[in-house]
Amino acid sequence: MATIGHNNLNAKLVLLGDMGAGKSSLVLRFVKGQFLEFQESTIGAAFFSQTLAVNDATVKFEIWDTAGQERYHSLAPMYYRGAAAAIIVYDITTPDSFTRAKKWVQELQKQGNPNMVMALAGNKADLEDKRQVTADEARVYAEENGLFFMETSAKTAANVNDIFYEIAKRLPRAQPAQNPAGMVLVDRPAEGSRAAASCCS
Amino acid sequence: MYGAKGKIDLAFEYQSQVAVLRPSIHSRRANLTVKFQDLYGFTVEGNVDDVNVMNEVREKVRQQGRVWWALEASKGANWYLHTVIGQGNALKSSLKFSALANALTLKKIIRKGIPPVLRPKVWFSLSGAAKKKSTVPDSYYDDLTKAVEGKVTPATRQIDHDLPRTFPGHPWLDTPEGHAALRRVLVVYSFRDSDVGYCQGLNYVAALLLLVMKTEEEAFWMLAVLLENVLVSDCYTNNLSGCHVEQRVFKDLLSKKCPRIASHLESLEFDVSLVTTEWFLCLFSKSLPSETTLRVWDVIFYEGAQVMFNVALAIFKMKEDELLLTHHVGEVINILQRTTHHLFDPDDLLTVAFDKIGSMTTNTISKQRKKQEPEVMKELDERIRRLESFKMEDK
Repeated sequence: MATIGHNNLNAKLVLLGDMGAGKSSLVLRFVKGQFLEFQESTIGAAFFSQTLAVNDATVKFEIWDTAGQERYHSLAPMYYRGAAAAIIVYDITTPDSFTRAKKWVQELQKQGNPNMVMALAGNKADLEDKRQVTADEARVYAEENGLFFMETSAKTAANVNDIFYEIAKRLPRAQPAQNPAGMVLVDRPAEGSRAAASCCS
Repeated sequence: MYGAKGKIDLAFEYQSQVAVLRPSIHSRRANLTVKFQDLYGFTVEGNVDDVNVMNEVREKVRQQGRVWWALEASKGANWYLHTVIGQGNALKSSLKFSALANALTLKKIIRKGIPPVLRPKVWFSLSGAAKKKSTVPDSYYDDLTKAVEGKVTPATRQIDHDLPRTFPGHPWLDTPEGHAALRRVLVVYSFRDSDVGYCQGLNYVAALLLLVMKTEEEAFWMLAVLLENVLVSDCYTNNLSGCHVEQRVFKDLLSKKCPRIASHLESLEFDVSLVTTEWFLCLFSKSLPSETTLRVWDVIFYEGAQVMFNVALAIFKMKEDELLLTHHVGEVINILQRTTHHLFDPDDLLTVAFDKIGSMTTNTISKQRKKQEPEVMKELDERIRRLESFKMEDK
């Protein structure tokens, strides 16, 4: 399956978000199917890779899981430079982490690759009783900013694979550099958020 | 490990070549993964060969202990403190000579390793921590601990968040007692230097210091001397500018000392900082096995922070041939990770670091740092200005 070169895509993906939002846990769940209550804090960034089959093509994600503490943000450009996709993670129980997520979106919009596929992940969706950020609020924000949105739980695995699959589907099939600028999939975000709504409800 | 396919193929090729030379039973044994505890209580996963290496290391540590005891016996206890030349002009020339001889011996045997039992004492004196502590009242640490008890700051919240995430599963660090000790050291330090406050990465460094020094107070002073005297300044402050400087110096050194690797990695568009940032910020404690990390620290505390360049260069140098065969960023990272995680014999690393890299004086490194500083500051300022301008546009 998918041995032809252009059906195999290598995609650099970066995870950004506040300290303790669960970036590393999402990656660990996706790459190894595991969950640890206490995941070692990430310093600088950690690298993982995982290959997905989407339709008749494969997408190999090269994932950079970055450190969340604010002072580490000065290192972030090194990790998002040339990235085809980003997952911006916040913790649904911490409004500050949602604020931080918006700042990341803003930075990527201005500084990142213009064709970058961006996903917003409201993580720790299993902690419904501690929720402080509503799904509606995040969904509206995502729609306004051309991201697709899902609530995830690294702990229960809910929507974790889905978010990576959704990104894989949305990646432009050709090499990002060869894309004419602005060939972004304009109508997709709304579609994505509808899909997310059905996953989370 | 993480499915970089090219790498797996490569490893497979190597293994099949080796299997021809060795009875198959050995290759099967070598592939068996076992878990065991190392000298400092960390659980390590490795194959049978790794276990053998660990046992050899334990034996070498014992031998090195005997070397240190013999020196104490011949030169007197605390001989290693009498290596400072030029302090007090009244020193007789014979004393000067013996100090010089001691200094040479000391540098040599520290590179060979300080035995774990002697580490607290030797580190404390030679790093300057003892001197730092002597400038304040004896009760300094206790007083500060009491004064900051119950205070909540952004730093303490982040520290609390990281306590269970610092070497989780360690038999002492990951206990209520271990968490409490680590918390006090980090919290007290965050008040001592509010510019640093708490920076992620220091949790690993302080945890290892606690394991070595055994007492909280001494671990605290080691952390203080490390951040205030040993490392370049601003490694851990607001935008990690010191760390950015070190990374640039390292890139220059890699081009000079390992030009083939540097140009190959450049052709792959691989920025070495992607990997080395963590090495420098955690002083290798998250990458190298514990005894190997501490052997590096032995030398850092005596010779200075530039030792980290030797060690980082050595890791690349040791894998030059493999690195030159890579085609993907993922392969490079896998090689480096596999290498660092399995460097159970500290001498393998340190021999390359000090004998094969060529000398780099403190002076040269200082000049390099000076050269890079304005560039880093400019870059960081520009970034802040760009981010600020987004906010302006929003308004």
